[in-house]
Amino acid sequence: MSESNHDGVVLNGEAVDTGPASASGAGAVGAGAASADASGASAASNEIVVRIEDLRKSFGDNEVLRGIDLDVHRGEVVVILGPSGSGKSTLLRCVNLLEKPTGGRIFFEDTEITAKKTDINKVRAKVGMVFQNFNLFPHLTAKKNVMLAQQKVLHRNADEAARIAVEQLEKVGLGDRIDYKPSELSGGQQQRVAIARALAMDPHVMLFDEATSALDPELVRDVLSVMKGLAKGGMTMIVVTHEMGFARDVADRVIFMDGGFIVEQGTPEDVFDHPKSDRTKDFLGHIS
Amino acid sequence: MQNVISFIKTHFASIAALLVAAMLAASFVLPVQAQALEVERWTAKGNADGDSVTVMGATPTRVTWQGQSAEDESVTGVSIELPDGSTVEPENVKATVIAGLDRLEVASQATVDGATVTVALDEPAPVGALIMVECNRTLLPGEGGSFGLAGSYTTIDGQTHDMPATDKVIDVVGKSPSEQLANWLNQQEWVKAWNSNKFLHLFFDPAIISTSVPALFAGWLVSLGVVVVSFPLAIPLGLLLSFLRMAKHRLPRAIGATYINIVRGTPLFLQLYIAYFGLPLMGVQLDPFAMGAIVLIMNSSAYLAEIFRAGIQSISQGQFEAARSLGMNGMQTMFFVIIPQTVRRVIPTMTSEFILMYKDTSLLAAVGVTELMMYAKTITAATGNVTPYIVAAGFYLIVTIPLTKLINTMETRMANGRRKHKKGPADRSITSAASVVPDSDAAVARSIRMSETFAGPASQLDATTTQLYDDARRNGNHISH
Repeated sequence: MSESNHDGVVLNGEAVDTGPASASGAGAVGAGAASADASGASAASNEIVVRIEDLRKSFGDNEVLRGIDLDVHRGEVVVILGPSGSGKSTLLRCVNLLEKPTGGRIFFEDTEITAKKTDINKVRAKVGMVFQNFNLFPHLTAKKNVMLAQQKVLHRNADEAARIAVEQLEKVGLGDRIDYKPSELSGGQQQRVAIARALAMDPHVMLFDEATSALDPELVRDVLSVMKGLAKGGMTMIVVTHEMGFARDVADRVIFMDGGFIVEQGTPEDVFDHPKSDRTKDFLGHIS
Repeated sequence: MQNVISFIKTHFASIAALLVAAMLAASFVLPVQAQALEVERWTAKGNADGDSVTVMGATPTRVTWQGQSAEDESVTGVSIELPDGSTVEPENVKATVIAGLDRLEVASQATVDGATVTVALDEPAPVGALIMVECNRTLLPGEGGSFGLAGSYTTIDGQTHDMPATDKVIDVVGKSPSEQLANWLNQQEWVKAWNSNKFLHLFFDPAIISTSVPALFAGWLVSLGVVVVSFPLAIPLGLLLSFLRMAKHRLPRAIGATYINIVRGTPLFLQLYIAYFGLPLMGVQLDPFAMGAIVLIMNSSAYLAEIFRAGIQSISQGQFEAARSLGMNGMQTMFFVIIPQTVRRVIPTMTSEFILMYKDTSLLAAVGVTELMMYAKTITAATGNVTPYIVAAGFYLIVTIPLTKLINTMETRMANGRRKHKKGPADRSITSAASVVPDSDAAVARSIRMSETFAGPASQLDATTTQLYDDARRNGNHISH
């Protein structure tokens, strides 16, 4: 897959699709992390939802994360950019311990999730995650996919879980697809089911791991607009993506990672329009 | 079956003893009451295999009647009513007259009308002579029963007397319809022609087929019973072993691997012997059926464990991650997400395993379970003919061939089912592709089965499985947390 070409197409799609949204998104970014604009776009509070301290992760001899410090505030949308192998996905997967850090500490709200005694399942129930490959449960319909964890983890009864599932599926525009199996849905639809599945758990933070990278360009739009809607609704989000348009429009903060470090971070304007580091300039130059 | 025979044997031995005793008693009493012909014998010669007492119906035997005429009687003819349904040829009927110590050469004419044998002596027997009628190669009624004597005799004065009453009986053991069919077959010309070919006779004797089928049927039910009881019990044990095998911690993993490797690495036959001879030494007395079932369960579970492991590890790591990211614990992930997806993929291989177990029940013959193989062996030993083994093969095949077909059907359906979308394509880019996709249910199911069934050189499909194993191992596919 040619990254630059792929992203170029999507950027065009974005530009065509969401003119008004872009404007309001830009407004939010312009207003900075601490305040909201009139359209009710995302606004970060001072409350820290995820705190990462000196996070390190190695796979054998390969050190993928080399000391990451990051605070994510409630309502904040953090977009992580970087070339392949920069450690951005690993960083995201450490936040719900799909990868076990080799060093450092991670806090979710008041809990240190890297502590041994922490019940990670309880934390994971409050941290929604959306994967590049959707990872829907292929043996279950869209509705059942959204219901399963509600029933098993949150112990909601079937009626309530079904009601919430339908509600969430309608929100992502799939009200007419609730009884379809994943194999009967397009990639974009599957990814939206995956988002609904995560949202049904009432997460406090949502992690998006290249949620649109496996999609055909014309399907990316639907997924991105769902994500934008979420961001506007005040959801705390950490997004790993190659969608520069999305980053520019929606992010409160953009983080550029390379070689296991955070190289640069700031508002989308800071990073995109006035990058300080040569590495960032190089990367942005390649993809745009 | 042998129990039944030996029971009948002892039963008839005692009856015969009673008869002999009665005859002895009669011989003491007779001379005193000798005013008319006395029946001295009414017997049939034992004709069962290796048994001189039991009289089988529908099997050639010799029926003997013997009468002691009174001192003033000269008998010219005897008419004996054989049991209804008996057949005998006139030329096989022989009459003998014994006067005092002399056996007289008396010509006689025998006629047979239905079951009534009439013997006319060319010369009247001397008074007080002993008259004996032997009906050789008589076929007594196939259904068996206890038969008394009826008939009449004619004296020189032209008078016909009813056969005197006697409490002597001929007890005939009934033959099953199949045994009667076998007898009938043996008399057919085409069967005789068929059997004149040594190979056809030894391997495909029609009469032995007809007797083996119902006899082996009982054994077939036992074999089926063993596998129908054992297989469902092997499944949860196999699942447990596969969990151990994939456990995150080293100890359970070592336990699982050791068990699986030992069981898969030694012959089932040996395992049966160890249990069969070892358990009694330990003071554990088990019914052979129960013991055989337990060994089969323990054996099969090791194979199933590897099948389940292959199935579980063929599920993409993303499925585990998605379930865990929603807060589901390891067990919930397994039972609600992974195993339901695995089922489709492992059912063909499990069916193969079922077939293997079914065939392996034949080994239980060696440890005293009276299953299909045991019956075939017994009949072959008794008849010196291989036909019962061929019939046994038929009994195995009527289960295994349909199941093999079923496996093929399932695999085909799985491969085709992927392309079918009952509601039609929802969008123009349906992500799932046809059966060629390496990790589709169909491809994985088949590769699991191939790798389980054949330990031969790695094929393309084996390579796929190996790939899956490797991927899974690289991803650290353990049940963690």
